[in-house]
Amino acid sequence: MTKILRLAGLAVVLVVSLLFAVFVGDQGPWYFAWVIGTVMIILISGAGAIMLDAQSSLSPDGEI
Amino acid sequence: MEFINPDVVDLSRFQFALTALYHFMFVPLTLGLTFMLAAMETVYVVTGRQIYKDMAQFWGKLFGINFAIGVATGITMEFEFGTNWSMYSHFFGDMFGTPLAIEGLMAFFMESTFVGLMFFGWDRLSRQAHLAITYLVALGSNLSALWILIANAGMNMPEGAHFDPETMRMQFESFVDLVFNPDAQAKFVHTSVAGYVSAAMFVMGISAFYLLRGQHRQFAARSFRMAALFGIISTVAVITLGDVLGRLDYEKQPTKIAAIEGLWHTSNPPFEPWIVAALPDDARQENHYEIGVPLVLTPLITHTFDQPITGMHELEDEAGPRIRSGIDAVAALRRYGVTHSSTDLAQFTAHEQDMGYGLLATRHAPGQDVTAIPADRIDDVVKATQPDILPNVFVTFWSFRLMVFLSLWFFALFAISAYLSLKRRLERSRLLLKLCMWSIPLPILATEFGWITAEAGRQPWTVFGWLPTFLSASSHGVSYMVFSLVGFVLLYSVFIAAELYLMFKFARLGPDHDSMEPHAPATPRASAFDMRPMAS
Repeated sequence: MTKILRLAGLAVVLVVSLLFAVFVGDQGPWYFAWVIGTVMIILISGAGAIMLDAQSSLSPDGEI
Repeated sequence: MEFINPDVVDLSRFQFALTALYHFMFVPLTLGLTFMLAAMETVYVVTGRQIYKDMAQFWGKLFGINFAIGVATGITMEFEFGTNWSMYSHFFGDMFGTPLAIEGLMAFFMESTFVGLMFFGWDRLSRQAHLAITYLVALGSNLSALWILIANAGMNMPEGAHFDPETMRMQFESFVDLVFNPDAQAKFVHTSVAGYVSAAMFVMGISAFYLLRGQHRQFAARSFRMAALFGIISTVAVITLGDVLGRLDYEKQPTKIAAIEGLWHTSNPPFEPWIVAALPDDARQENHYEIGVPLVLTPLITHTFDQPITGMHELEDEAGPRIRSGIDAVAALRRYGVTHSSTDLAQFTAHEQDMGYGLLATRHAPGQDVTAIPADRIDDVVKATQPDILPNVFVTFWSFRLMVFLSLWFFALFAISAYLSLKRRLERSRLLLKLCMWSIPLPILATEFGWITAEAGRQPWTVFGWLPTFLSASSHGVSYMVFSLVGFVLLYSVFIAAELYLMFKFARLGPDHDSMEPHAPATPRASAFDMRPMAS
């Protein structure tokens, strides 16, 4: 039951996100770009840190 | 209409500029650091590595110092509209007050409520719940900026309002037009990502300080890497949105774009040079010692190779008929205020779009009353008013250039830093690390220059094309203005000193918990979707 509720919740989030994307993408393209861009910036900077972890595990005493 | 003492207007402008510039020293860091904290905490939640929690907590502490002092400097500004700019507040209060109220009730309350949970909830919330709180703080602080910039966009490109001759003020017409004003959109994203650049430089610079001293190396390396990547993408976004704003100004605020480019005469496409440096002379209306790059200006501003950009002399000429029409509008409005006759209203409506230009002419009318201008002197008044449509060219030109030169410097610094970090060659490049450290205040300086460009370039209007600045202020005495100005300078200088002292102190101390073993998982290591409370 919990899983079904969680799935339903995620489905609602998905629908709201799609509606948001359609409406804001049309009416306010730069607002939409800000949302997408900020998420992208966070993900790329986070990926950079995780990549550093991987690099460090290959050569733990290496240069930074 | 009561005429305001020009000294009071200048002092009111100076006071507002000063308080806004002080406040804006704190704002960019808040806008950007919250999302950097969210990025660090996201990595912590996903990987479970303690070092990312240490990072989020340490940079969160510096964010807290900045946030607490920054909030205090912002509150006074909202009151200044009422105390020092009462004419403006009467004329444009509907449009301006609405987004400010939403900012206070929605964004600021949201940010302030969740910031407490963010600081004190580490041991009381599950890691997912805490991460959600951090994102809400970031969203709240940026939504706060959104509503402020929607209000500001209304001043630069008034949309969603109309002038009501009954109430003598701008009346709210469309909330959607207000929120989706193209200037608000571009300015919000430009300002928000400028905050990301400031935060990235702040984190990168302090991390460089640790690397130079060989302290907290793993902590600093990760912070540096994240900041460099965060910064390079944000800098590209800032430059892109700057271009969008330039294009908007070309269409809607031609005096601002001509002043920004020091363009006294209409451009000659496509050969017109982009002036890299010059000494604009406002009094003689010409530039001295111009250095330009040919073929750049036209595509840069118009995104074409054949559209001209109207120069300031030609804009003055174009304003002549509008000033004449505006004088008719103001005269008809005055008559309508007494007679309420449909003839006067029809006459006003016919010239309504030029009313602001008529108000601009009051400074040169006998007794500041345009209805008292003799018919044979109208040409003289129009001619005297024409140069008033231009902003201060020297200030607008140079504040824009300093902002642009600094943003190009950030692009180079972030690009090289990101490359060397990805290649793991940072510690060999001590000069770069020193440059990163010394560049910490520069993005904040660049945002200040950006703000000066936008606001000085909007002059001589508080509401572009509708209400001149010299008619917007309150009727205070000069001594009152000087007294309050000195008070603000002293108080805000204490805030800045306190901020700098605390920032230096806590940055030198470094993180409370330095995980020397970056690969050691948090205890207990948990999956990203584990809902148990976090270990302290």
